[in-house]
Amino acid sequence: MDSLNEQFSQIYDQYIDKIYRFVFLKVDSQETAQDITSKVFTKGWEAFSAQGSTVKNPGAFLYQIARNAVIDHYRGKGRSKVVPVDASPDLADQNLSAHDKAVLNADIGILTKSIKKLSKEHQDIIILHYLEDMPIDDIAQLMGRPAGTIRVMLHRGLKDLKDIVQES
Amino acid sequence: MTKITEKQLIASLSQLKEIKPNQEWASLLKSQILSEATVETKITAQKVSFMEAMVSTFTSRKLVYALSAFLFLVVGVFGITKLTPAPQIAKQPAALTTPMVSSQEVAMLNSKIKDLASASKAGNIASIPPAVTEVKAKVSQVIKSIKDNPKQDPQTIKDIAASLKTLADVPGTDLSSNADIKDLYQTVTQSQISDLKKATLTEDQKKTLTEVEDLYKQKKYSEALEKILLINNK
Repeated sequence: MDSLNEQFSQIYDQYIDKIYRFVFLKVDSQETAQDITSKVFTKGWEAFSAQGSTVKNPGAFLYQIARNAVIDHYRGKGRSKVVPVDASPDLADQNLSAHDKAVLNADIGILTKSIKKLSKEHQDIIILHYLEDMPIDDIAQLMGRPAGTIRVMLHRGLKDLKDIVQES
Repeated sequence: MTKITEKQLIASLSQLKEIKPNQEWASLLKSQILSEATVETKITAQKVSFMEAMVSTFTSRKLVYALSAFLFLVVGVFGITKLTPAPQIAKQPAALTTPMVSSQEVAMLNSKIKDLASASKAGNIASIPPAVTEVKAKVSQVIKSIKDNPKQDPQTIKDIAASLKTLADVPGTDLSSNADIKDLYQTVTQSQISDLKKATLTEDQKKTLTEVEDLYKQKKYSEALEKILLINNK
């Protein structure tokens, strides 16, 4: 049991930022992202403590829970994807100058809003591939689609995102 | 943003990696999840430790020895009961037990004696010797059965006694010297005396029984048997 705790503690440290980021880029506020992320890790722990070492890929497992949690969030409450103006994320690098930080915040803000305008599948693929550096094959396995389809969707999603960013 | 290439977009996307959760919130969430897990672990551990305590109690040496001794005794007792053969007498087949004198034998003896009595009464001298022979043969069978199994049915002995009385009344036959018939008289008389001694008798019957015993001692078995029949008919 202690070893399970230690294992899950390591998994938590490894994936908390990624899962939070994944969720944050798909919901409308920091609070909602925190709420969903906490649900993801709670469910993850329940499954991990029940199945133990049989969970072969904890990352894919947590991302799958996160995807479903976000879908449930929108489906259950009938929420539309409204992006609040003050939805600014915490930035890790606190050593940036005020100017650089402002530029970065502006760029991140535009990108964040733009990503949220994409379809859910395009959001997932772009976040997982370009932010989390997940290989196409792993994304294909996670989403239950052929790798070729994921490549096409990634290309289209990137094109859509480019158009949205240019329009903003 | 105005014009942007895909490369620039991808580079911009990598900037989103800087998005991270509030570290205090992340630490709090981790501690919450793992503390709940620890509580569950403790509860489970308590259950397990209780079970372990129970198991260790029942697997302690003294208890194991005591249990082994008890089982040894139980198995021993039941084993002896199982292995010890049941009383053999009850299991012996009926064919091996000494046969009683059957009513059929007595009836045959009685029939032969009556044939002899009829032949004697009719003066059919030619029929008397074979009838005597048959009576002798039947008497031999009966006396053999009685000698083999002295504990005969009292009613059978009474019937034999009645047949012997009939035989004694047959005139012109000299069967009293026949050894088998003598034995049969003696055996039947002795059996009847012992039965009468066990029975509740009147004063007259007791006197008659005393006379029977005297006759038996004098080896006058046919006379003793006649008196016995008198007691039975009273």
